[in-house]
Amino acid sequence: MSTNTQAISVTDLHKSFGRTVALAGLDLQVEAGEVAGFLGPNGSGKSTTIRILLGLLRADSGSVKMLGGDPWDDAVQLHRRIAYVPGEVALWPNLTGGQAIGILSALRGSVDAAKRDSLLERFDLDPTKKARSYSKGNRQKVALVAALASDAELLLLDEPTSGLDPLMEQVFTACIREAKDAGRSVLLSSHIFAEVEKLCDTVTIIREGRTVEAGRLEALRHLHRTTVSVLLTGNANALASVPGINDLVLDGPKATFTVVEEDLGGVLEALSRYSPRSLVSAPPSLEDLFLRHYGGLPAEPRETKAGRHAHAPAGGAR
Amino acid sequence: MSTLTFPVRAGAGASAATGTLAGLGNAVRFILRRNWLRLLIWAAVLAVMIPMVYGSQQEAFPTQAARDAYAQVANTPAVAAMTGLPYAAGSLGGILVIKIWMTLAVALGFASIFLVTRNGRADEEAGRTELLRSAALGRHAYSVANYLVAGSLSVVTGLLISMLCLSLSLPSDGSWTMGASIAGTGLAFVAVSAICGQLATTSRGANALGVGLVGLFYFIRAGADLQANGTNPSALSWFSPIGWAQNMRSFGENNWWPLLALLGLAVLGCALALRVESRRDLGAGVLPERGGPATASAFICAPLGLVLRLQRASLLGWFIGAAVAGLFFGSVAKVMASVLDPNNPFAKSFVGTGDNILDEVMGIFVLFNGLLAGAFAIQTLAGARSEEESGRLESQLAGSLSRFGWLWAHVLVAGVGSVVMLLVGGYLSGASSQGAATGGSMAAASFGYWPAVLLMLGVLLFCQGSIPRPSTGIVWVIYGLSVMAAMFGGLFFLSEDFIKLTPFGAVPRIPAQDFALLPLVVLFVIALVLATIGFWRFRARDLMPE
Repeated sequence: MSTNTQAISVTDLHKSFGRTVALAGLDLQVEAGEVAGFLGPNGSGKSTTIRILLGLLRADSGSVKMLGGDPWDDAVQLHRRIAYVPGEVALWPNLTGGQAIGILSALRGSVDAAKRDSLLERFDLDPTKKARSYSKGNRQKVALVAALASDAELLLLDEPTSGLDPLMEQVFTACIREAKDAGRSVLLSSHIFAEVEKLCDTVTIIREGRTVEAGRLEALRHLHRTTVSVLLTGNANALASVPGINDLVLDGPKATFTVVEEDLGGVLEALSRYSPRSLVSAPPSLEDLFLRHYGGLPAEPRETKAGRHAHAPAGGAR
Repeated sequence: MSTLTFPVRAGAGASAATGTLAGLGNAVRFILRRNWLRLLIWAAVLAVMIPMVYGSQQEAFPTQAARDAYAQVANTPAVAAMTGLPYAAGSLGGILVIKIWMTLAVALGFASIFLVTRNGRADEEAGRTELLRSAALGRHAYSVANYLVAGSLSVVTGLLISMLCLSLSLPSDGSWTMGASIAGTGLAFVAVSAICGQLATTSRGANALGVGLVGLFYFIRAGADLQANGTNPSALSWFSPIGWAQNMRSFGENNWWPLLALLGLAVLGCALALRVESRRDLGAGVLPERGGPATASAFICAPLGLVLRLQRASLLGWFIGAAVAGLFFGSVAKVMASVLDPNNPFAKSFVGTGDNILDEVMGIFVLFNGLLAGAFAIQTLAGARSEEESGRLESQLAGSLSRFGWLWAHVLVAGVGSVVMLLVGGYLSGASSQGAATGGSMAAASFGYWPAVLLMLGVLLFCQGSIPRPSTGIVWVIYGLSVMAAMFGGLFFLSEDFIKLTPFGAVPRIPAQDFALLPLVVLFVIALVLATIGFWRFRARDLMPE
């Protein structure tokens, strides 16, 4: 292991294909031993970023470091220490899934047969079938087994659960937790918020090739509003005058509103005067963060990662 | 339940709306709509061979005396094995049968196999049949429609062939049996493919089974024709539908009764297929799907081993093809040399104007073998681009495999494989030539084409490095033009000096021409430079999947 604590460090990355701009100043940091979520809509540049990290595409400009090396110049050496699962897994149609796993594993170095067999069992995959007959989910499992059976320091996963059923998603979640416990770093590009919220320490949200939100999951939550639903004994109209309550929706004794973190204490104090019979508060979900950036608002490049724009109008997320 | 009855749509005939053939008309229209262009191309390409081959044979055998001379030598084992026993080699119709009948019959057989599988098992495998059957379509309607459409291709092609023969003023009874025997072969293979589609679970399996049976029936009749007693093939011939059709003897005896056997096979075979269909589940086959090894051997884990494994079937096919072509050319070389009239301009354009016509004929094979090896090399190296196109290269390069190492494995298989083809084909052509040339000298002469093959690889590497997306297409075009110039340059009135500037024309055509080192060195150096640039560009560029 290098002394470097960062598994991936990307700053101001640019990449164009002809006239199409794929990446326009992307930043991405993954600390060693952590699971990093990588979110963005289709075509926002997630796969392009991962392909640059793999040395399959050449960056136009910007600095890219992976495991302390240069992804383009040191590709072959670096690839012994990483494992990759593509979003769309292409296999040799006339070879079996087991043969494909063997070939992909051999390209990373040693093969742990016991680990591979246990993964085959957990993912419920028949390795004797020809890849031609595999469904999308089964092809995905082939790439996952090959990647997870390796002793790679860093896993690059590009929407790895697309095509897996909920049961298999649970197996995947467990496997990633185990990888984290074993001290590996993971970059997980995904569309599934629940998955990222469950697994990731940090999140990077990108749009149109730019990073629009990045940080630790709990830190990002602080930037956003808690949603509160209450049922009062009397009419809830009075809440309209309480300072700190936003986006109030009234329905007789029921009320739903949002509160910024620092106003929460004051609002709760005020609420107690209206003798609430039930109160539900939901922390902001990743989905809120995501929709805030993609809910029709123009992209706003962040100046500083710690910058506060919590009071920006909530963008129709609710 | 009595309260839950659905109204049967009125309008359609009551029996047709509920039977196993309900919706047959719609199914036929649907299949025609998906396949009309394919059907048209098959029929047109097959039928147009008749006037083309007829024209060339009329030129090669312009007088009755020439045809009579040909009839004396036409019945060689090689001709009997490849194209069937000649029955009327002394007439233009009979010569037409020798030259093109087997090709047309087998090609129509393949067309029938592929068409029936495409609209049968392939649709079922993809789940399209499930969607159709969930609509008001009888259990057998889609299959019957498939057999009808595929059968109609045979009938239409046969009719076209007969019409074209008649239009060339060939005897009418021979013209009709010519079309009918070819159509009958096609219909028989519609039935064969129908049964294959019921047995196999995958379209690939059904096609493999069908193509295998075409090959088996071809070899059965080849054996029968080789063991012929005069013009009567051995009884083995009756175990092959191709043998039945041959026994219609167009432009000879013009027998009609074998057609009954072909039609009988077609009807009974399709009926059997439908019977199997009503007994099995949708999506299932009768033959089990074979599994494979659960782990990868050390051999296919190495980049070179993987290329060899992926190209296994193709390598085998090319090597066998080169060997068969060598044996065939060698065994007919002397006959060809004796038949060819050195004053015929058509013959001259092929073999040149040298003194020793036998050497010229052997020289043609050496060129042919070189062209074959060139096509093999291009196809094999183009496999590298398909790995990139499909996205499979991405997963491999994400491992600790260098771009150079990966591409080099493909180049090695293409380069060394082409040497094997050149040597094997060359050696066998000499060894089987009954003394026209020695195996060793023909192998060496063929090897002279290796620099030209390497040039094709060099061009392809250059294109893969700099313009990957159209690379394969561009190189096939360059190859096609080079073949035209080297093979038919004289026909197009290209000057000898110009032909010498094309890749395959530059190589000295031994034994017809004298050995010269300079053109080989030039070809080799150009190939090396292009390949080096190609490798360098490939290592520096983005990966480009489709």
